[in-house]
Amino acid sequence: MMLLARALVLLGSLMAPALASAPPITAELSTDRVDISTGFTGASVLVFGATQSFLGVDPPEDLIVVATGPTQGVVVRRKINVLGIWLNGPSTRFPDVPGFYALTATRRVWEILPEEERRQYRLGFDNLRLRSEGNSNPAFRAALLELKQSGGRWHEYAAPVSRAGERLFSARIAFPATVQAGDYQIEVLLARENRVIARQELSLRVERVGTAADIASLARGQPLLYGVLCVVLAVLAGWLGSVLFRRN
Amino acid sequence: MQVYLPIAEMSVDALLLLGIGFGVGWLSGLFGVGGGFLLTPLLMLIGIPSAVAVASGANQTLGASISGLVAQWRRGNVDWRMGLTLFAGGLLGSALGVQIFALLKRWGQVDVAVSLFYVVILGIVGALMVRESVSALLRRRRGAAPRRKLHEHTWLHGLPFKLRFRDSRLYISVIPPLAIGFGIGILSAIMGVGGGFMLVPAMIYILGMPTAIVIGTSLFQVVFVSANVTLLQAWQVGSVDIVLTMLLLAGGVAGAQFGAAMGTKLRGEETRALLGLLVLSVAFGLAWNLLQTPSRAFTLGPIS
Repeated sequence: MMLLARALVLLGSLMAPALASAPPITAELSTDRVDISTGFTGASVLVFGATQSFLGVDPPEDLIVVATGPTQGVVVRRKINVLGIWLNGPSTRFPDVPGFYALTATRRVWEILPEEERRQYRLGFDNLRLRSEGNSNPAFRAALLELKQSGGRWHEYAAPVSRAGERLFSARIAFPATVQAGDYQIEVLLARENRVIARQELSLRVERVGTAADIASLARGQPLLYGVLCVVLAVLAGWLGSVLFRRN
Repeated sequence: MQVYLPIAEMSVDALLLLGIGFGVGWLSGLFGVGGGFLLTPLLMLIGIPSAVAVASGANQTLGASISGLVAQWRRGNVDWRMGLTLFAGGLLGSALGVQIFALLKRWGQVDVAVSLFYVVILGIVGALMVRESVSALLRRRRGAAPRRKLHEHTWLHGLPFKLRFRDSRLYISVIPPLAIGFGIGILSAIMGVGGGFMLVPAMIYILGMPTAIVIGTSLFQVVFVSANVTLLQAWQVGSVDIVLTMLLLAGGVAGAQFGAAMGTKLRGEETRALLGLLVLSVAFGLAWNLLQTPSRAFTLGPIS
């Protein structure tokens, strides 16, 4: 229902192309919140919209969609072999890396924009500013990229920006089951002739809801009470089980 | 059916968890142990963070052992005085163990440390069990049943602070049971186990308690120490996942009944030999993981 209403609003804005102040791009999200409930297995959000001018014309225009999640601090540790046993050895801390990063575009971003533009808008893993503390070996940064990608929390060009007709576009952003709660920014950029000519920022809220949210907030807010509850519940469950399954 | 674990912050197949709970419950019913030593490594194997696996394993052990304690208590097989002495040691030990665990977590060595503890402890306990039961089997085959003393007098009996444990028919110093409780308390906090598989042999061979009293009294210690570990882990480390615990318990309680029914058909020595082999194979599996070159040279963790 909400999607329909949004689509109508968008359609309305398309119907009025005569307005001189019409923005070069108009984009929307299929939803502005993702709920992590007890049955959460990941989510996919559709970014869709239209451009003011035709996309196909020369010089070509390109669309870039980039989504970033709340920053977090992570430690990358290298395994070392001590007397035959593999231990966690030297480490590098990255105090503020995006917990989620997804990039997609109509073409590869390096074909669309020069390096300084890509760096400014943080387009592509190579252009993320990742401040590090500790061991400065570049292997740690490479490992961070690889580990984040293998968990599905960072991805590039997972699904391309697709076009319908001459002005409509859409892209899908996949959030894995391990996605963090928090505020997510989704930027839609329109690029032409090696520079960004328009951008629109959208926001998305990922929230824990229902039982999962209550449990997590109780465990964090009142850990002692939560601990007591865990003890009581386990005792009750064990006792109940022995009553239910008692063999005569 | 996927279910989201709020503390582990991941989705896991609920049927897989129920199945693991059932399997471990079945084995624990069969062998009369809590099964925590199987559960925690299995949880780590399916990708549950080791901190959550250990803490929720302790919570599950509590639920799984409570019905056994009630049953033993009804039959009068619990030596309360001995249980309380062991528990006093266990309380201190598990408090220290949780602190060690929090420290290991800060250093980023939880996974390795937990695995190492498992390999060493399970290796020793498994080897002792197999040796003991095989020699018992051989003795029975030879037909000579040697008469054993109730318990042997060693230097342990010369220690001060003697106390009379009437139900265990013992008059010994409180220091050995306190020390045993303390040591096993540390291990339960770090390994997420109740410690029954270590406590039972310690009570029989070190303290010289009669076998009939041993199971009930060890369950007493296991229940209270795992309750303490659950509480401290939830409070100070924040890693008990109640959804995970409940799913494991649901499977485990059902499995334990089937296991117990089957266990009555097996002989004592054979059961102990099988359990020893099981313990040893878990130790070998974990040792293999520690020694093998890891598939990834780097690991990722949160800054804590």
